[in-house]
Amino acid sequence: MIRDRGAGPTALAADGAELAAVSPRLRHRLRLDGIVRWALLGAFAAVFFPLFDMIYWVSVRAVPKFTLATFTEYQVGNAGGLAAMIEGTFVLIGLATAFATSIGLIAGIYTAEYAPPAVARIGRLAGNVLAGIPAIVIGYFGYFLFALYTGWGYTTLGGALTLSVLMVPFVYRTADLAFSSVPASQREAALALGARRHQYLRRLAWPIALPTVLTGVFLAMAIGLGETAPLVYTAGWSNTPWTGLFSPTSFLTGAIWLFYEQPPTLGALLTLAFQAAFLLIVIVVALNLGLQWLADRYRRRLRGLGA
Amino acid sequence: MSDDGGRDVEAPPIISVRELTVRARDRVILERVTLDIPDRDVTGIIGPSGCGKTTLIRTMNRMAERSGGLAISGSVRYRGQEIYAPEVNPVLVRQKIGMVFQRPVVFPMSIFDNVAFGPRLNGLDGDELEAIVLRSLERAGLLGEVGSDLDRPALELSGGQQQRLCIARALAVEPRVLLLDEPTASLDPIAAQRVEALLFELRREYAVVLVTHNLQQAARVATRTAFLYQGRLIEYDETKRLFETPREKLTENYVTGRFG
Ligand SMILES: Nc1ncnc2c1ncn2[C@@H]1O[C@H](COP(=O)(O)OP(=O)(O)OP(=O)(O)O)[C@@H](O)[C@H]1O
Ligand SMILES: [Mg+2]
Repeated sequence: MIRDRGAGPTALAADGAELAAVSPRLRHRLRLDGIVRWALLGAFAAVFFPLFDMIYWVSVRAVPKFTLATFTEYQVGNAGGLAAMIEGTFVLIGLATAFATSIGLIAGIYTAEYAPPAVARIGRLAGNVLAGIPAIVIGYFGYFLFALYTGWGYTTLGGALTLSVLMVPFVYRTADLAFSSVPASQREAALALGARRHQYLRRLAWPIALPTVLTGVFLAMAIGLGETAPLVYTAGWSNTPWTGLFSPTSFLTGAIWLFYEQPPTLGALLTLAFQAAFLLIVIVVALNLGLQWLADRYRRRLRGLGA
Repeated sequence: MSDDGGRDVEAPPIISVRELTVRARDRVILERVTLDIPDRDVTGIIGPSGCGKTTLIRTMNRMAERSGGLAISGSVRYRGQEIYAPEVNPVLVRQKIGMVFQRPVVFPMSIFDNVAFGPRLNGLDGDELEAIVLRSLERAGLLGEVGSDLDRPALELSGGQQQRLCIARALAVEPRVLLLDEPTASLDPIAAQRVEALLFELRREYAVVLVTHNLQQAARVATRTAFLYQGRLIEYDETKRLFETPREKLTENYVTGRFG
């Protein structure tokens, strides 16, 4: 079918003067446009320069001194590597993510789908408050609950549980958001086909909500990775191989905190501090790239999903 | 009640609504509506915007109670059984009485999974499931168009195809009644025409209830048509009669476009 575009080619033709003549008003607008563009670029640089500067600052001190031993050896005195801290970080984050995801997800789905409006409002408020509590306070809370009250002392489990308290509101809030923002029309259509609520949740809402839920989980992981305070009071410290849930453990942020302020005679420890920082940056960047990739994939799948 | 052209006498109605009243907090949305929906036929529902058409068909498969704050009284029977009886499970009502919405609501999954959604809820799978999906797409006149590529994302279909997919998805649950709320309102004329032709076909096997703003559409496909005005059923009759010799002044004004 030939579409009528209205005017023919003659209407589009313009003589040179029409396009080249720049009035003073237009010149002023163009100049303003230039200034705004530079200002935006400046603001952009102000945000990102410190980030890149920091990454550079850490990298030049950490990267040249990486050896296999950095990853495989346990730190003793002024020697050894980060093996204990790497192990500890993975165990702590793994466990804390599992706890925070299961609880945050269930609570989020309950808030979005089942809770009476008043309960949902209280839940959301509580989630926001919990997200705003300083990490150090959560650390003390974890210390009293998981170290003293239980009588466990410093344990990996206590550390992971405390860390999950810090992470859970981020999973909870995004899970709530993810399920609340599934278009109402989708739910209606599912129910009109005779779906029960749990069937709607599992078969329709879950795949739609998943990318958002994952964002929350990744965000919680990135936040948990960067924390020191909740762990020093609960997971304790140990630079020997990890022996189990009820023994203390070390972690990468702790290495930065402990090794950075050592006397110059212990220079190897300073290097370990930078290397721990570098590893954390790498992990956080990897998490974000992974998240980006997942989000893109799902966005393509959900494109065109109406409200 | 003897002047309906004898149609009612042939078979009992599949849905009978009696004295149906629906109230929102401060107003009456439907007031003492009484009408019978015949089996294996197309019944039209017309009326100005806000007169309660959507609410009426949503009470027929117990979707209305889902929009909060509505008080529903009166009786709706499906093949003689009260669907608002306490022991009746609304999920089963909705499986017998399917619904299609004004804008096509496609699930973000493949064409196959869309149509399979309903049957899977009831535990169907394997060859049986595939057969029912193919049959439903065929009935909705979509199988020829989408061809063998049922794994394509359904969101890539055109608007008209999406709406027929929604009809196929509703048919896959094997309902007896299909309620359609302005199913062609968001479609271009050609796509709308195809859906309309499909509904006319479907009347051989299903009771079709068609809410429409398009009077010509009602005239073309509906055997009987109900005219609703401000929550009351003004007139319900053979479509031809309703349009040509309306008994009520309100109906006449509406069908002649002299409204306002
Ligand atoms: N859950 C509800 N609570 C309060 N009022 C409602 C509710 N649902 C519908 N209404 C009102 O009831 C009236 C009838 O609504 P309904 O959607 O049934 O009209 P309609 O005939 O389908 O209109 P349209 O042709 O515009 O789709 C409207 O005034 C609407 O605002
Ligand atoms: Mg409506």
